[in-house]
Amino acid sequence: MARFVIRRLLQSAVVLLGVTLVVFLLLQLVPGDPVRVALGTRFDPQTYEALRARAGLDQPLVVQYFDYLRRALTGDLGVSFRSGRPVTAIVLERLPATLSLAVTAVVFAMLIAFPLGIVSAIRSGSLVDHAARVFSQFGVSVPDFWMGIMGILLFSGVLGWLPPSGYVALTEDPGRWASHVALPAATVGLVTASILTRFIRSSMLEVLSEDYVRTAEAKGLRTRVVVLRHVLRNALIPVVTVVAVQLASLLGGVIVIEVLFAWPGIGRLTYDAVAARDYPVLQGAVLLVAALFLLVNLLVDILYARLDPRITVK
Amino acid sequence: MSRTRFRLAGATIALMLAAVAGCSGGEGVDVDGNDAAGAGGVLNAAIGGEPDQLDPHKTSAYYSFQVLENVFDTLVEPDANLEMKPSLATEWTTSDDQLTWTFTLREGVKFSDGSPLTAEDVVYSYNRIIDEKLNNAYKFGTVKSIEASDPKTVVVTLNAPTPNLLANLGGFKGVAIVQKSNVESGEITTKPVGSGPFAVENYSSGDSIRLVRNDNYWGEKPKLDGVRFTFVSDPTVALQNLRGGEVHWTDNLPPQQVPALLDGDDPTVQSVPSTDYWYLSLNQARKPYDDVNVRRAIAFALDREAITKAAKFGLATVNQAAIPQNSAFYYEYAPYSHDVNQARQLLDQAGVSGLSMDLMVTSEYPETVTAAQVIASQLEAVGITVKIRTLDFAQWLDEQGAGHFDSFMLGWLGNIDPDEFYYAQHHSDGTFNFHKYANPNVDRLLDQARTETDQAARKQQYDQVAKQIVDDASYIYLYNPDVAQGWSKQVSGYEVRTDRAIRFRDVALAR
Repeated sequence: MARFVIRRLLQSAVVLLGVTLVVFLLLQLVPGDPVRVALGTRFDPQTYEALRARAGLDQPLVVQYFDYLRRALTGDLGVSFRSGRPVTAIVLERLPATLSLAVTAVVFAMLIAFPLGIVSAIRSGSLVDHAARVFSQFGVSVPDFWMGIMGILLFSGVLGWLPPSGYVALTEDPGRWASHVALPAATVGLVTASILTRFIRSSMLEVLSEDYVRTAEAKGLRTRVVVLRHVLRNALIPVVTVVAVQLASLLGGVIVIEVLFAWPGIGRLTYDAVAARDYPVLQGAVLLVAALFLLVNLLVDILYARLDPRITVK
Repeated sequence: MSRTRFRLAGATIALMLAAVAGCSGGEGVDVDGNDAAGAGGVLNAAIGGEPDQLDPHKTSAYYSFQVLENVFDTLVEPDANLEMKPSLATEWTTSDDQLTWTFTLREGVKFSDGSPLTAEDVVYSYNRIIDEKLNNAYKFGTVKSIEASDPKTVVVTLNAPTPNLLANLGGFKGVAIVQKSNVESGEITTKPVGSGPFAVENYSSGDSIRLVRNDNYWGEKPKLDGVRFTFVSDPTVALQNLRGGEVHWTDNLPPQQVPALLDGDDPTVQSVPSTDYWYLSLNQARKPYDDVNVRRAIAFALDREAITKAAKFGLATVNQAAIPQNSAFYYEYAPYSHDVNQARQLLDQAGVSGLSMDLMVTSEYPETVTAAQVIASQLEAVGITVKIRTLDFAQWLDEQGAGHFDSFMLGWLGNIDPDEFYYAQHHSDGTFNFHKYANPNVDRLLDQARTETDQAARKQQYDQVAKQIVDDASYIYLYNPDVAQGWSKQVSGYEVRTDRAIRFRDVALAR
């Protein structure tokens, strides 16, 4: 197991290195000069050159890239092109907001998707099943920002139950954190729940048709026991992967939702960095997201091996 | 085995929650202000985006200046009618040759950290902008030297008479007086120290900026305990925040709702015409736009009322010149009535038919995208096919700089002195003359007016400039947008300013 983990860690490092190279090269292809954006419309050549030199953008690309790598290895991701602050600090301070939103959204999604998916699989073809399928179709097709705005208008406008936007750290005031996270998490969670519901339903249906389920029923076990012990646990294996992938992608920040709800997470940071062509921040954010994604995948692989003894760690 | 599975799942969730709890930084301070103990309370202000940084000399973002207006001071500052009034300098004298300006500083001014603000700080601040070639270095174009003859006196020596020096030194907080130690520690980007009515207490990236009353402020003490700026980019959400009471003030209102909001009294919404102007620019380095008849034809083909309605929901004042009515330099001149026949005739004279014109707009300013569609349909009527190109701002600026355009629409914001309205844009050597306009007569007048110290003569020169630019259709001016801002019933003492400066120093919050 230890060897497996070490090997996966090394693989992850190689992937990360690849990520830095790809991001760096892609940024060169993006039209738009960061120095010009920083100066805005009031532009003069001298100021331009001065700012360009300060940002190190007058160096050859190869020098820029290896400089970046060398510093990145020591945890220094450079300084923001616009604010002059260290990128490492900037991306790390955005992590809690995104983490708390992503985890809450996934928990919310699971609370909806598990009962709904299970019931709709067991009572396949019933009214509940149809309702669940309509729900998941709705969640997948309706744009999240629209759902977000409707949520704001309803829950904070008409009903006045929740604040329309903003963020309070969990450690600062859990109650107010909860009231602020509710709407964005529910919006994101609904989309995730729709995906999960479909997945759980089909995974359950597949297992329900297995011989051992028929055997379990034949030996007179109660439906409840059959479903919980035999069907659900076996159906869970692929579901774990989907949940993890969903969580991992939410950790990358839900750009539209974070922008809409004024949520200070990685997504909003990325959005602002793209608009400002703040390359160092953008690189840092992408690197962090990639690292998180790899970490979650690693955890899933380990979890997977534990869940299903047939999958052996080689 | 089955038990292990669930324990593992449980452990994973616990781990994640621990990570969440562990990572959330922040202090245990109530930042809402709703239940703060002090007398004045904390005003919650929602602005449309996050400042890139808080160094007034280095930022060019309006979001930054919304905050910094309340933190920093300048030597002089514009009043409600944009006339320059004493601020850190109480008085100033000009030598007979107009080349030496001597400013006397206010007695006993301190930075918010308690250290004194002296003439040396003024010298340091200006030299920093000039020597490091920072964004606003162009405002010091005629400055030869800046010296502190004693702790209370600043002497500015010029290469040429500069009648708009006061506007350059005090037009906005981009030329604020900063503290050397604050700059050198690098803290100025997130925790700047100024001498203004409020001081930055905390900047929580992505979330909010908190200001507290500066008890060392030289002027009348602000009534508020502080101001908390949050960044709400969606105007519907910002308005909802204002209505729900989470926010007391915002300038990010959905434009289509402003006319209705102006009629209501809660929230209070007010609008005034701004000194900004929006225009269409035709690239005179390209044919056939070098022909004045073609440019004038386009000017006649446009229906400005319709453009304004579509782009700004009527929240703007049409203007065929740049300077708005409320300025002392306003020049009433509107030769272009919407006249399709006249436009066709001018195009015939120029021998142009079947013209296809590229129009470059940017998603950074959505009003240009909307206006472009209206402009396209109006020009269609005179036989010009418009190809709209929507770019993001970074790319847009690149194309503008490289001269890769037939035409573009954009605005100039925050202008005060006529020199700012015209020189860089229309002088043949102007840094922002991307459309390659050159008229020796205009060049001469602009150079002359730049150093003209007689205000009446100066006004006359700029009137001539305005007329010539409009006649030549160097820019085809469209409108001056209105500034609309809204605040809740609890807020008193706030005034919307034509230069978009957000000043909270006289504001009180009823509770």
